[in-house]
Amino acid sequence: MTHQASRPTIDPITLEVIRYGLISTCNQIDANIKRTAFSPYIYEYNDFAVGLTDIDGRLVAQCTGGMPPFVADSVGTAVRDGLKIYGLDRLYHGDVIVCNHAAVQGQHLNNTVMYTPIAEHADGTGKLIGFFAINVHWIDIGGTMTHSNDIFMEGLQLRTVKMWSKGEPIEEVYRIIENNTRLPTELMGDIEAQLAGCFLGRSLVSNLIEKYGADTFRTAIDIILDQAEAAARAHIRALPDGEYIHETWLDNDGEGDQPIPIKVKVVVAGDEITVDYTGIADQAKGSINSGYHGGGLTTARVAFRYLVAPDEPANEGLFRPLKLILPMGKILSADPTAPMANYPMPFPTVIDAVIKALEKALPERVTGGHFGTHSGFRLFGRRANGRTFNGHDSGHGGWGACATHDGSGPYRTMAHGDTRLIPLELQERLLPFRIESFSLRTDSGGAGKFRGGLGFEKKYRILEDCLLQTNLDRTNHPAWGVLGGKDALSGSVVVVNETTGEATSQCKARGEPLKAGEVVILSTGGGGGYGPVEERDLALLQRDLDEGYVSRAAAQNTYNVAVDEHGRVTRPA
Amino acid sequence: MSYAVAVDIGGTFTDLVGYDHETRRVAYTKSATTYGNFVEGILDCFEKAGLTPDQAHHINHGTTLVINAYIQRRGARAALVTTRGFRDILEIARGNRPDPFDLHYKRDEPLIPRSLRFEAPERIDTFGKVIEPLDLPALDALAEELRAAAVESVAVFFMNSYANPEHEEIAAARLRERLPGVYVTHSTELTREWYEYERTSTVAANAYVGPQVNTYIRRLEEDMKARGFTGPLFMMGSNGGLLSVDRTCRQPVSLVESGPIGGCIGAGAYAEQLGFKNVVAFDMGGTTAKCALVENGRFNVESIYYANGYIQGFPIKSPVIDIVEVGSGGGSVAWIDGQNRLHVGPRSAGSTPGPVCYRRGGTEATVTDANLVLGRLNPERFLGGELTLDTQGASEAIRRLAEPLGFGGDEGVLRTADGVLALATVTMAGAIRQVSVEHGLDPRDFVLFSYGGGGPLHGAALARELSIPMLVIPPAPGNFSAIGMLLADARIDLSKTFTGLLSAEVIGDLQDAYAQMETEAAASLAKEFGAQDVFFERHAEMRYLGQRHNIKVPVEQIGDLNAIRAAFERDYKRRYGHSDPNNPAELQALHLSAFARQDRPDLKNLIIDSEVAATPGSRPIYFREKGGFVDAAVYQREALAIGFRADGPAVIEEYGSTSLVGPDDWFEIGPLREIRVHCDRRQGEQK
Repeated sequence: MTHQASRPTIDPITLEVIRYGLISTCNQIDANIKRTAFSPYIYEYNDFAVGLTDIDGRLVAQCTGGMPPFVADSVGTAVRDGLKIYGLDRLYHGDVIVCNHAAVQGQHLNNTVMYTPIAEHADGTGKLIGFFAINVHWIDIGGTMTHSNDIFMEGLQLRTVKMWSKGEPIEEVYRIIENNTRLPTELMGDIEAQLAGCFLGRSLVSNLIEKYGADTFRTAIDIILDQAEAAARAHIRALPDGEYIHETWLDNDGEGDQPIPIKVKVVVAGDEITVDYTGIADQAKGSINSGYHGGGLTTARVAFRYLVAPDEPANEGLFRPLKLILPMGKILSADPTAPMANYPMPFPTVIDAVIKALEKALPERVTGGHFGTHSGFRLFGRRANGRTFNGHDSGHGGWGACATHDGSGPYRTMAHGDTRLIPLELQERLLPFRIESFSLRTDSGGAGKFRGGLGFEKKYRILEDCLLQTNLDRTNHPAWGVLGGKDALSGSVVVVNETTGEATSQCKARGEPLKAGEVVILSTGGGGGYGPVEERDLALLQRDLDEGYVSRAAAQNTYNVAVDEHGRVTRPA
Repeated sequence: MSYAVAVDIGGTFTDLVGYDHETRRVAYTKSATTYGNFVEGILDCFEKAGLTPDQAHHINHGTTLVINAYIQRRGARAALVTTRGFRDILEIARGNRPDPFDLHYKRDEPLIPRSLRFEAPERIDTFGKVIEPLDLPALDALAEELRAAAVESVAVFFMNSYANPEHEEIAAARLRERLPGVYVTHSTELTREWYEYERTSTVAANAYVGPQVNTYIRRLEEDMKARGFTGPLFMMGSNGGLLSVDRTCRQPVSLVESGPIGGCIGAGAYAEQLGFKNVVAFDMGGTTAKCALVENGRFNVESIYYANGYIQGFPIKSPVIDIVEVGSGGGSVAWIDGQNRLHVGPRSAGSTPGPVCYRRGGTEATVTDANLVLGRLNPERFLGGELTLDTQGASEAIRRLAEPLGFGGDEGVLRTADGVLALATVTMAGAIRQVSVEHGLDPRDFVLFSYGGGGPLHGAALARELSIPMLVIPPAPGNFSAIGMLLADARIDLSKTFTGLLSAEVIGDLQDAYAQMETEAAASLAKEFGAQDVFFERHAEMRYLGQRHNIKVPVEQIGDLNAIRAAFERDYKRRYGHSDPNNPAELQALHLSAFARQDRPDLKNLIIDSEVAATPGSRPIYFREKGGFVDAAVYQREALAIGFRADGPAVIEEYGSTSLVGPDDWFEIGPLREIRVHCDRRQGEQK
């Protein structure tokens, strides 16, 4: 805030009107993309983000919805690469640039940022003043369908490539993209939506600039970023200084059977927070890697936002007081050639670990761990009529309890947002199985003063032979409790053959054959508890019993209470 | 004398409009809503209007009863009966977290707790085939459990019942028989579309309000009959149509947006008669502002609604008008955060304590306080003089915001008050852009139709913000929702899941399906409204083969494959900007709306003439663009005749509302006595 004196002044109300206007613009483009996109990744999973950067590629405003991992300035990184490669003198009004490169974004190659410069005047004249950018999960960019050994097996890389130049599309680039995807209709449709969103966003921002003038607009941006920074610093100052550590392990990287260490250190000092990932696993053979920006910075920022500043709009200023220590060559700072197809796999655990580390520093904000694994569940094969099928499903699990209430869920992980599960009635119509039950999993939430949320149990009766692929982790280190709360149950995938009575665990299946008549049981983990069990309000525990969230045996054994023949709970003196 | 009467019971006021088709006399009144016994408020309105219930030919009634029961959780002790293995569907929901950065996010509790959710042995597969028969002895045993649990209502949901409702129907009939006095409802009597969570949630919601709505409506009917009312009572459905009492009692969930719907119907009727193709209906009240699109006199009806909002709430599969709501109303609180940034809303001071100027103990500045400080409201004539506003108090409250922002003195108070309105305008404009952008439309092609207590005061600023050239303010904007209810048609919506490629082979099935729905709807309208003339609107949910996102396409000629295909291509192109003539199209669901037109009042007669002097007064009003206070003409609405025109700045006062015309705008009185404010003159342009 030290530069404020030398800067031209702007009255605080005009500033607010511009701030509201910018966020509202991003949200309108968000609505527009959902309306015009082809693929369910966008309109069902919200796998995209809309943002505005200034002329230096600093994130100024972003849409309020979207996937959490995109909040960490995924769009700004791409813009800054464009500035590095082209320089401002080779970027023009009417250019449209795309980038999905592993060295830049460091995520799977589907995540592709598209952006276009905004000039001082709506007609494109005047100096460039910023960029309107949209990151969209491209539905398919080629590459292997199963597992990969390096990034080159994962599809087409576009490093800062102009798709439009000075208002004209470059047909060669379109041709390259269209011929390197399995789903050209869908992808080209999504690209149209992304492009239209960039242009509409540019024109809405231009209107604001015209209304208030370029100088006022630039000043407003500086102040908006500084205020976000000041807000973040004020939040951090309220935390006790100290070093906070947590260490846990993922089951494996999907290739070998070695546990993957996730050790995080968080240092709070004055009004800054440093996240230190030095103790995290080295780059893996399996495709669970991500780059420094797309993995390390992203997870640190998501955790920061969850804990410190959930209500502050995301922008570059907000993250200024957050420092990262991360040597290169770790799973969160992998070489750009490393396989990254399954890049977000460690994210929920890493974010959870940062939260756990801060349990003493932020007792009012932290939550017990969440089930924390993508729990991918895919059945595929060929129907009797020869048609192939490919059904992606996934597990939703319990979330951790907090200082004021029990954990919630089942929801998807912290690396997901507004992602809905697929209706059973739709699944039964499209795929050769019948669901026999879909229930909350009693006792799966960790005990505590507040109980963790429950996972679910879903029973699939297989009706035709098919193949199973799964990706369920954290079976050895389930969601932990915080501040004395207990751990939750972990998830599992079990295939049961009722005639032989055989049951096999299949948490990382890679095309395991299933026979008609077999049953697959997908159980998801719960969330961790908060605070000691002795402090649980008996009325809440009574309700848990009455509603069947906690069994009688668990109440007696875990909560150390007596339960009489009418099911009434009492705490022995 | 025989009056058509509409009664709209809202959170604060009960509004009544009466219209005599012979004498063309119209009456408006407002009375405080009487909690505990709503009928008292209605009778009070009759009395104020100089009417008695026996003079009412029929009564159209809208109420916020159902939505309030959901939000305040004051419904019945309801139970849910599902297919074995599926009682938790209601609680698992769709597993999404609509607010991604809320680490402590929690969805509202399900309406029916787990201990009152039961399972019955039965199973039907995806094609409607019975896999496991319904176990009747088990069901009878379940009935005993339900009796022991002392439930007041039961919702029945079975898996795949959309494909074959037989088990649900048998189970519901059996439970009704075994549990006299208990309200029993099943999912497929409410919707025949797939998706188990949405159907379960809908039937649970229906059971939750069933007993209460039945009691309320029967009592209202009796009370009105006891006072001489002999005509029919119709309820205002969220689809914009009237519902018979019997249907409402079976499907009370259809009343969920019964309150705000009136204004949209009214906007549609005015738009149609005035020849406006595209209209944004904008309603600003005390706590929120709502907006909806009206195209060619028709508003858009969504087939899913989230009670208490998408973020926290639960879905109801029922046709509900598509309304976007934002937390910006007259009572929205202005506040300053830790970084000295000014915000407006979404928290509201509501009606108690209300804005500071109401003198009911409010201490935080609101939008209404800002309007008062800037001279836009007349402190002596608020609600026809029923409330004298405290300008001094409002000004002090704004001053408390102004000083930390660095705005000193009286000038600072004005600048801050103006800023509060500017921020409210940006928020409301965002909502309007959202409804139009989501449908691929440009707000500049619309007329802004503004009503509610605050709509006419803020409409012109909004129109300018959105570059909308014209603002229209209907007669009695403060009672406009009740007026709209007087203009409603009888309407029944039916829908069903219908999947298949759009091809010559399915045309026969399509015709059969529509014919069946049409027969059913026409019979219902004949029975419930004595309707002879019924007209239909058909829509099909369609998409290209392999896609997962449907669009709703009007189906005009059911037998004409090419016409259906062409309509799909046209609407697809409007929404996505392109289409793919070579790709086959799939059908996903069919929707039928059946209408029976009721007698409508002549819109020309909806303003009460009075003897008010036509010579305007004047008072100073603050306009920032003019650098301060400017003398504005003050008109009484009743005195303005058709064809009158004048330049702004001006205010037009009437009971329950004030319209503001900016200094660069001009206005005229249109053929239906509506105020038309023209906002498209550039600043400083020659008048």
